[in-house]
Amino acid sequence: MTLAFILVIAAALALVFILSVTLSRNQQISRGVGLAAQIQPIDVEAFRTLVDPLEDDYLRRRLPAAEFRLVRRERLRATAAYVRTAGRNAAVLVSMGQSALSANDAQTVDAARQLVDNALLLRRNAALALIRIYVALAWPNSVMAVAPILHGYEQLSGSAMLLGRLQNPTAPVRISATL
Amino acid sequence: MLRAHSFLWHYLWVAPNVLLLFVGLLIWKRGLRMRFPAFFAFAFLSAIAHLALYAADEMPSITAENFWRIDWAGLLIEGPLKFALVGEIFAQVFGSYASLARLGKFLIRSAGVALVLAAAIAAAYTPKDGVFGIISGAHLLEQTIYLIEAGLLAAIFIASSYFRLSIDRPLFGIALGLSISACVHLATWAVIANGGWANSTRARLDFLNMATYHVCVLIWFYYLLVPARVSQKPAVPLPENDLDLWNRELERLVHQRLPQP
Repeated sequence: MTLAFILVIAAALALVFILSVTLSRNQQISRGVGLAAQIQPIDVEAFRTLVDPLEDDYLRRRLPAAEFRLVRRERLRATAAYVRTAGRNAAVLVSMGQSALSANDAQTVDAARQLVDNALLLRRNAALALIRIYVALAWPNSVMAVAPILHGYEQLSGSAMLLGRLQNPTAPVRISATL
Repeated sequence: MLRAHSFLWHYLWVAPNVLLLFVGLLIWKRGLRMRFPAFFAFAFLSAIAHLALYAADEMPSITAENFWRIDWAGLLIEGPLKFALVGEIFAQVFGSYASLARLGKFLIRSAGVALVLAAAIAAAYTPKDGVFGIISGAHLLEQTIYLIEAGLLAAIFIASSYFRLSIDRPLFGIALGLSISACVHLATWAVIANGGWANSTRARLDFLNMATYHVCVLIWFYYLLVPARVSQKPAVPLPENDLDLWNRELERLVHQRLPQP
């Protein structure tokens, strides 16, 4: 009976989740317009300081190892908060792009499709970057945790640049020449 | 009222399957057969299998053993059909987004492997009846099919919800009906397969299964054949400044290195 109990609980949880998705989908369809207001602005300066390697180098030189690990964890937590915000914003962009997919103009539909694809990429990469940040949180001294985070950011950057180009096709695309 | 061979029992066994045949017929007439081939096949074959089982139950010439053989045959047809239908839902939800194609396949394959393992472990711990093996085997097969099916559908719902993918109305209806049916049937078959319950309780679980299936067929009918209300929504303006901000900041990140402790 223990097995039956476990399976019943699992089935009930899955059913509740699926029904809640159905309800939120209906609400999304009726809401629609307020999407842009859901986008949260990112504090660029704070984010820049957080991921500044010189800052980290400075802290590493000045602080004892144990204290540095504590500080680095705090900084990683803050970085995670920013990446989460970028991921949430990407999800809003997915919804906005999808609402434009039913437009009559073929160019708008194409642009919307591209926007959706890139926003999905951003959302996916934000999730991957978060996983890597959490791994780095667990082992703040590990060398392996750093490179994948940077790689995740590279992917985020690429998709964000594509999004920017879609938003403003006349602006030159800043493909990173210094990469 | 909630006993076998009552009017409600006959109604709940026959009506949803006749309605499902009707849904299949309308799908064919409206040209949706090519868009949802797995659901089209499921609608016809599943309804026919259930009606054949009903006929076998009603005919005195059919022995109990043959009834369970027919049940087994129906399950062996219905099981692969359901997995094909889950595959069709997955392909249509994720297939149109190039950026998610690889991740989607990875997720669904991982979920599939984990669910098959979980179903095998659950089957190993489910009590077997040595005397009526054909019956307990059928219960076990139902539990296994619904465990994998419900898990895969939940994975599709979780992933589509995380990425905020909008699923078009007919496909959403198919996925919703199939998911409700899979979750409720998983719970009831798990109880039946592991339970040793009294016949009266067993009959109530049968009623719950049949009523749920009826509701699911009505959901399919509604989502596939009743047109959606057309609402003219104004286009949502895209926030240029925010995107530019992300773009600049993330680009800067690429040029930097995080320090190695």
